[in-house]
Amino acid sequence: MSEIPLPPIARRAAPWWLLRHETMLAAILLVALVVLGSLNDRFLTLDNLLNQGRLTTEVGLIALPMTFIIITGGIDLSVGSIVGLCAILLGYSWKSFGFPLPLAIGFSLLVGAAAGFLNGLVITRVKVPPLIMTIATLALYRGLAEGISQARSVRGYPQWFYVIGQENLFGIPAQLWLLLIAIVIAGIALDRTTFGRTLYAIGNNEIAARFSGLPVDRTKLIIYTLSGLMAGLSAVVLVSRVTTTRSDMGSGYELDVIAAVVLGGTSIFGGVGSIWGTVVGLAMIQLLKDGLALTGVKGDATIVVIGTVLILSTLVASSLQRRRDGV
Amino acid sequence: MSVMTVPSSRADPRRIFKALASQEALLAIAVIGLAIAVGLYNPRFLAARNLSDVLLGNAYIAVAAIGMSMVIISGNIDISVGALIGVLATLSGTLAVKGVPIIVTWLAPLVAGILIMGLQGVVIAYLRIPAIVVTLGMLSILKGGLISVTGGKWITDLPDSFHLADLELLGSVPMPVFLMIAATILAAWWMHDSAPGRAIYAVGGNAEAARLCGISQPRTVVMVFALHGLFAGVAALLYATQLRVIQSTVPPNLELTVITASVVGGVSILGGVGTVIGSTLAAILIAEIASALVFIDLSPYWIRAVQGMLILATVIADILRRRRMTGA
Amino acid sequence: MRLGLAGALLGATLLAGTANAADKRWDGADDLPVNPLACAAGEAAAPAAAKPYDGGQPTNAPDKAGKPISLVDVPKLIGIGYFNATSKGMQDAAKELGNVTVKTDGPTEAKIDEQIKFIDNYITSGVDGILFAANDPVAIAPVLKKALSKGIHVIGYDANSTPDAREWFVNQAEFNGIAKAMIDSMAKEAGEDKGFAIVTSTFTTPNQARWIAEMWAYAEKCHPKLKWLETVEAQEDNNLSFNQATTLINKYGDRLSGLFGMTSVATPASAEAVTKAKLCGKVAVVGLATPNAMKPYVNADCVKSVVLWNPVDLGYAATYVARAVVDGKLKPGATSVDAGKLGKLNVVNGSEILLGAPFIFTKQNIKDFDF
Repeated sequence: MSEIPLPPIARRAAPWWLLRHETMLAAILLVALVVLGSLNDRFLTLDNLLNQGRLTTEVGLIALPMTFIIITGGIDLSVGSIVGLCAILLGYSWKSFGFPLPLAIGFSLLVGAAAGFLNGLVITRVKVPPLIMTIATLALYRGLAEGISQARSVRGYPQWFYVIGQENLFGIPAQLWLLLIAIVIAGIALDRTTFGRTLYAIGNNEIAARFSGLPVDRTKLIIYTLSGLMAGLSAVVLVSRVTTTRSDMGSGYELDVIAAVVLGGTSIFGGVGSIWGTVVGLAMIQLLKDGLALTGVKGDATIVVIGTVLILSTLVASSLQRRRDGV
Repeated sequence: MSVMTVPSSRADPRRIFKALASQEALLAIAVIGLAIAVGLYNPRFLAARNLSDVLLGNAYIAVAAIGMSMVIISGNIDISVGALIGVLATLSGTLAVKGVPIIVTWLAPLVAGILIMGLQGVVIAYLRIPAIVVTLGMLSILKGGLISVTGGKWITDLPDSFHLADLELLGSVPMPVFLMIAATILAAWWMHDSAPGRAIYAVGGNAEAARLCGISQPRTVVMVFALHGLFAGVAALLYATQLRVIQSTVPPNLELTVITASVVGGVSILGGVGTVIGSTLAAILIAEIASALVFIDLSPYWIRAVQGMLILATVIADILRRRRMTGA
Repeated sequence: MRLGLAGALLGATLLAGTANAADKRWDGADDLPVNPLACAAGEAAAPAAAKPYDGGQPTNAPDKAGKPISLVDVPKLIGIGYFNATSKGMQDAAKELGNVTVKTDGPTEAKIDEQIKFIDNYITSGVDGILFAANDPVAIAPVLKKALSKGIHVIGYDANSTPDAREWFVNQAEFNGIAKAMIDSMAKEAGEDKGFAIVTSTFTTPNQARWIAEMWAYAEKCHPKLKWLETVEAQEDNNLSFNQATTLINKYGDRLSGLFGMTSVATPASAEAVTKAKLCGKVAVVGLATPNAMKPYVNADCVKSVVLWNPVDLGYAATYVARAVVDGKLKPGATSVDAGKLGKLNVVNGSEILLGAPFIFTKQNIKDFDF
């Protein structure tokens, strides 16, 4: 996928263009909000917006490390399956191993990180391309979740555990705090640290990054592990919200996450992207779905709209960029 | 997705050919070896009827994987193929119950497939939107659109003559198997020996060099997607005509199955390497594994885990073998 | 070395898998007790002691008795024949009642979190009542309780939630009733001492898991010589179901005398597999299915009996129940409810409304149905 010749500018981190894409996307989002808000007075209420934040947290948590991964030119399709595996192990270790719940949560995060680490390890050591590796582990991790659970659900968690997924803290859904903190950390890490610059360098030209002595393999190992870890966290939040575990949890998340990230302007070819863009992309998908539903559009038509928006917004963004480049 | 593996092998076509030949050999050995191993455990697995059923029931995946392999070799990817097959199968079935001549119901999905995929190819090649974005969007559009239009109403009462997959050539070769083999051989020959076929490798392997050789990159990409649409149409036809009911929905996870067949078949996701013989063998292997796991009395809960493990093992073995070949 | 590692992992997984293969007992995976019916035909199970009402109640629901109400129906997924039929029943009922509007909307795949989002949206948009068919009884509970807390009436049909998360559940047929109909048909068609296998959607689908558990219990009690060979998953996919059924036929050969299809997708696909293997009459196919998809096989005498309730009636009843609840005609403790053309339906298990015994389609009556 790397060899389609892009206008040279796209291979560099182009700050103003990035800014431009996201500002434009944010503007489209605002217009959509106003239009949908004027069609239904229940849409633009604080309650509804916070509730939408609650519902999108699980996908959002995974979208952050996915942004890192896509910036390096990689991809992780196994995240949805890791969510399922971690959810199952959270319940299983609590019920069958008799772990205290906090330990079970820790264990499931650890399993998530390990699953991501295995992805990273094979990708960096054996040099299996990320798409291939994670398509294989997508099947494997989901299969492990099924095998371990034996199709059983675990329910009946203590009341305090439901706080994460269902209660408010200081007027804001509890899990939204997690997402906000994660966004801030991810944003700073990408914009302000050597780690962030290394990600862009790998995405722009991996061989050059290697020759300039950047820790390419270590960085990749970190981001895939992080991706697994966040999928684990997402599983904990999801289990807390829906109060049960099932081995099919999180299936299809990979496409939701990737849609949000690429809609946010992160280039699938690597080297370009931002956390801010991903956040706008996430908000756009969730609020469009919600706004359309509230104005009476049905679920099947809504996904048609989402698909069209995904293609058109990328089209507009790239043609603007090309006009600027004079190509 | 990034420029990292096997770049050195591109330089020497003879070595590429050798590498490919042995990937196909590896898969062929795996297909035969697995059959023998499972046959030792349960001889019923080797019954001609079972082996032919495995091929018959999964030929549509192999056919779709041919087009997918071309797409991947050209340096792109397609996530929408499963949804497209659902749409084309419904289209064909709807025409059939409306009493349209059978030949039209067979040709319609091929034409529609070429048009829809060709359109995606145009957007990807000329408007330069990454394939993953376009096809991800198209996946939503096709899936939502199909339900909006049909409401998911099943198509029943299909005329008997509609069932292409039930035909047998020369009285013994089932149509799906014939189409799978014929399509694979034709595509392999075409990609290996014709100028446009070789252009696919050139575009995927090194677009810049391809351009210098006078190959139009956008035109090649559109051609590849249109062909992919044609194969998706054939796959949809097999999918639709095998049973007496068409579900009018998108087959779950079919795109993943097709992509998996392609990559296990040795088609490099980096573009530029691979053959469709490998992808067809891989589709057969995956189908054989699914059947074999039932025959060896594996707990059904663990079937998907073992499938995933086997796919992972095949992929890793392929990459390691390639690295050894190229001396990397 | 890496290959060795992969091999070791694979070996371990295989080992774990085969070790588990021995434990084939199906218990529905939900720790609920099974309650097989009596063996004799037509005889109902000993009536369970009347259970007190165990549903939930909406808080401060506005009094709309006799006034127009709007309902939303969120099935497991949209775009499949079965839920199209329930939706049609709802529209029929709405037309008859005149003061009810029903809209069906839901996810395009049977995913728990998608369904939750749809219900959540409709709570925000403000409806008078929600009709649902749960993808998971527990996962859906929090959002249903939220609806109740906002004064919205909540009625389930087809697939239940935990009882306290909804007011009433319209039960198409009790699990043990379906199980009895299925096993009795199989014993009659295949033979008392023959082997059979099952094609289901996924092991985690609650209704299917319960049915299989009840079938096991009933077979153990009333047809102990039936041989339970294997159960395979086939999602909700036609071709996959066909392939799985074909694999079972090839694997067991003469030992297989019957196939159960647990979904309206698996049953016609299993019948097709039997037809293609030219085993009509040798391998019996019994299953849950809609009549239109089964007509070719029933008319060709390949399938003798298809078990199902009428999904149109199910949707119809759910709408009538919702109207009765809003009008105050169906209160906790009631023993029956008036459901239009269906007459009086009985309350069972505390807060469930029973549609009736499962219906068995045969060659004689299948042509009278169109869905």
